[in-house]
Amino acid sequence: MSPLFMTLLLVVGLGIFARTMYQRIHLLMALEPADRFNRIKDRLKNMVIIALGQKRLVGRKKERASGIMHALIFWGFCVLLIRSITLYGEGYVHGFQLPLLGESSILGYLYIALKDIMEGVVLIMVIWAFYRRLVVKPPRLHNTWEAYLVLGMIGVLMISDLLYDGARFNLVAAYGNPGDLHYFNNPAFGQEFIWTPVTVLAGNVISGFSATGMERVMGLMFWIHIITQLTFLNFLPLGKHFHVITSLPNVFLKSLDYPHDKIKLLDLEDESVWEEETLGVNHLYQLNWKQGLDLYTCTECGRCKEVCPTYVTDKPLNLHDFNDTLKAELYANADNLILRAKLAKTLTGDAEADAKIKEKIAVFKPEKALVGEVIALDTLWACTTCRACEQVCPVTIEHVPRIIAMRQGQTLMQGEYPQELNTAFKGLERNGNPWGIGYDKRADWAEGLDVQLMADHPEAEYLLWVGCAGSFDDRTQKVTKALVKILKAANVDFAILGTEEKCTGDFARRAGNEMMYQMMATENIEVLNGYNVKKIIAACPHCLNTLRHDYPQMGGHYEVIHHSDFINRLIADGRIRVKKSLAGTLTYHDPCYLGRYNEIYDAPRSVLNTLSSQGLNELPRHGTESFCCGAGGGRMWMEETIGTRINVERSREMVGEKADTVAVGCPFCLTMIEDGMKELNKDEEIRTRDIAELVAEQLA
Amino acid sequence: MKILTTVKKVVDVELNIHVENGAILDKGLQYVINAWDENAVEAAVQLKESHKADTTLVSLGSGDNTDIIRKCYAMGIDDAIQIDDPALANADSPTFARVLQKVYEAGDYDLVITGKQAQDTDAGQAGIMLAEFLNIPCVSNVIKIEVTDDSHIQVSRLGDAGTEILDVTLPAVITVSDGINEPRLPAMRGIMMAKKKKINVMDLAGLGTSFEDVGGTAPASEIVEFMPTEKRKGGQKFEGDPAEVTAKVVDLLVNEAKVL
Repeated sequence: MSPLFMTLLLVVGLGIFARTMYQRIHLLMALEPADRFNRIKDRLKNMVIIALGQKRLVGRKKERASGIMHALIFWGFCVLLIRSITLYGEGYVHGFQLPLLGESSILGYLYIALKDIMEGVVLIMVIWAFYRRLVVKPPRLHNTWEAYLVLGMIGVLMISDLLYDGARFNLVAAYGNPGDLHYFNNPAFGQEFIWTPVTVLAGNVISGFSATGMERVMGLMFWIHIITQLTFLNFLPLGKHFHVITSLPNVFLKSLDYPHDKIKLLDLEDESVWEEETLGVNHLYQLNWKQGLDLYTCTECGRCKEVCPTYVTDKPLNLHDFNDTLKAELYANADNLILRAKLAKTLTGDAEADAKIKEKIAVFKPEKALVGEVIALDTLWACTTCRACEQVCPVTIEHVPRIIAMRQGQTLMQGEYPQELNTAFKGLERNGNPWGIGYDKRADWAEGLDVQLMADHPEAEYLLWVGCAGSFDDRTQKVTKALVKILKAANVDFAILGTEEKCTGDFARRAGNEMMYQMMATENIEVLNGYNVKKIIAACPHCLNTLRHDYPQMGGHYEVIHHSDFINRLIADGRIRVKKSLAGTLTYHDPCYLGRYNEIYDAPRSVLNTLSSQGLNELPRHGTESFCCGAGGGRMWMEETIGTRINVERSREMVGEKADTVAVGCPFCLTMIEDGMKELNKDEEIRTRDIAELVAEQLA
Repeated sequence: MKILTTVKKVVDVELNIHVENGAILDKGLQYVINAWDENAVEAAVQLKESHKADTTLVSLGSGDNTDIIRKCYAMGIDDAIQIDDPALANADSPTFARVLQKVYEAGDYDLVITGKQAQDTDAGQAGIMLAEFLNIPCVSNVIKIEVTDDSHIQVSRLGDAGTEILDVTLPAVITVSDGINEPRLPAMRGIMMAKKKKINVMDLAGLGTSFEDVGGTAPASEIVEFMPTEKRKGGQKFEGDPAEVTAKVVDLLVNEAKVL
């Protein structure tokens, strides 16, 4: 077309884009390190399934329609990327074609057919997206001018390309191809028109122009397409559409194995960390680059807030605002962060020289305190760490580790945390349980039940980890006793630690109190390793999660089995027999730390299905999309004074499903749901029971 | 303003206390800071924050009290003295009050804040006796302290008839109740930083006195024996015809419990 103009556009367009990207990447590099380049194969697999495959967009039943819409636009873009290269080539070489994609190969024909269909499909999807935003207005969507502008640009890209080709077709077919335009005409595969119905349609729409007019339309559409594309490219990094560029790498670099970045094991003995406030995230620069990339990638789709138990119950935590605020703060402080990182690199290890550098570094502290000013305290402490947000996030943003790291800063450094936690922390410190009940009463529940202590029976095959709730809470003690009854019925060789057991430290860790957590973990691991414990049965998913995933960081390696899983095996192996006579309708509430954190969904269901002849009635929100009871992340020990209560919201859902029995698999859920039922005056009609209690009832 | 606060290390009463042959068994016991003293420390630290007071803490007894003193440091106390003397192991309240008197006299304090009593003995005497020995005012069971000027404070105390508000001339001794505040749990950073602070440990001789001087050799009271508290027995449950059950209960209350 015009090599000079094309070169000018490319130089300007790509130049500005490269500059923006350099700034963005430079900023990420100024943040803390994160190791995300191992296990390339697993990472590629994630990228193919989650990003390219759009798993979380098309995979969720509730969001399938809009998910398919997005996926089709995305896939359409992928297809059109190749086409774009041809167009840029056309700017320099008349009739430019990519090797293998020209008219001599069937591949070329297949590609133009695919491109033709996808352009039509994307265009329809864009119209649908406009309709959705303007008319349907789903509440989770953040309706901004940016969204409309981008949809508009996508529409222009499709239309301009279709009209460019349409005009070309018209010139070839109706005006004898005056400009010697290139078009596919291979005798073996036929003419190009046969393969591209959408383009032919577009050509028909503009068939009224004269030959010159048609040539002008073609040229105009060509340049509109190129200019829009370059504008679009430059617009992306400025807002939420940065995800078009960052999603693929973000998914590629996501955490592996554990569902999110594990809480960092902090070195609390190092005196300097206390002086320099380097524990947890107290300042922007303490985020790591992957957390920064998460912020770049947030699409503001609002799926996170829609499933968030705190947002739904009117708490101030709104995850996409949380991300957006942090991102804005990151950009606002970009220069300082980069200068700071540069200086930090010059630290020598020599105290005297470093003192001067540290003085200079201190100047680059952001004006606003990260927590308290940028992010409100109530926002930070609302989170129950349930991970519903992370489970639905199409671009795998990890909100929870960031929140916990910020809580660490507050708890360890600032001493700013909900003061109700003090009682629980004090109880932990003195008596190894959040209730603060005398540690020597830990095994009182077992009196008269003939349960052996590890101290007396160290060769026991299984350790039954009772947990604080199972030991001290009157209600949960019944669950422990039911479980003991089952284990005894199956002749399982097990023992408990008795007064040697302490809280695993789960809630302390998730409330940011790494010190208290490490105190608990160190003592527990010493005891467990002292008995050479290999297999642990736990009825509390929080204990299970901590024992299974947190303790290995400190040298505790055990096979930890949830009691529902264990009971399921006992039934399958015929070691216990149960009656299928549970009366009434039965439903099951998935605990977050069992389901989303440990992917145990089937075992509890399998057990419950053996108890009830009517089978299990699923709640509307179940499995990976289960709704938190409100007690995770230390929230069990905090007041819930803002908005409505999460447990009541969940209980209402159960009441709505007309359940007679609600089965749970977590002591916190048990307390919260039972309380919720009381609040709704439904506790007489609806029984809330742990799986173990139901099984013990039905033992044959 | 210079404030002196006192802390005592007591047995954690959350635990089962085992008594054998008239003595408490040391097995499984753990020791904690007396809860009311924690309120006293918190009150002192709050005055430090609001009125730039200097706060000194004193802990009496025999054996190492470093752990609880560090915690008070982490809460915000400026200086700490520990009087560690084996002779004080079983000393009575007047003896402790005399030791406190010596500590008070060695410094130049305007206000002494103590817990209203200790969780182990529940005697509630040391603070009041200290004021008596020093011949300065004393208000017990205080739930609020307000500084009027350099030499006056206004306090609220829980009396039998309600809250009493008193103007107090300094120096004075205040013993506080748990209603006065919610003691802070020091930030972990404070705890770590407190590890470096120095504790001034001395025995009675170091304080310039002796067990005899403080009256320890002629105690006003002595512990003769410990006895376990009786465990509460479970109640009885009656079911059946209301009239019959009522008759039965009345009969038991009259003839067995002998309360009617």
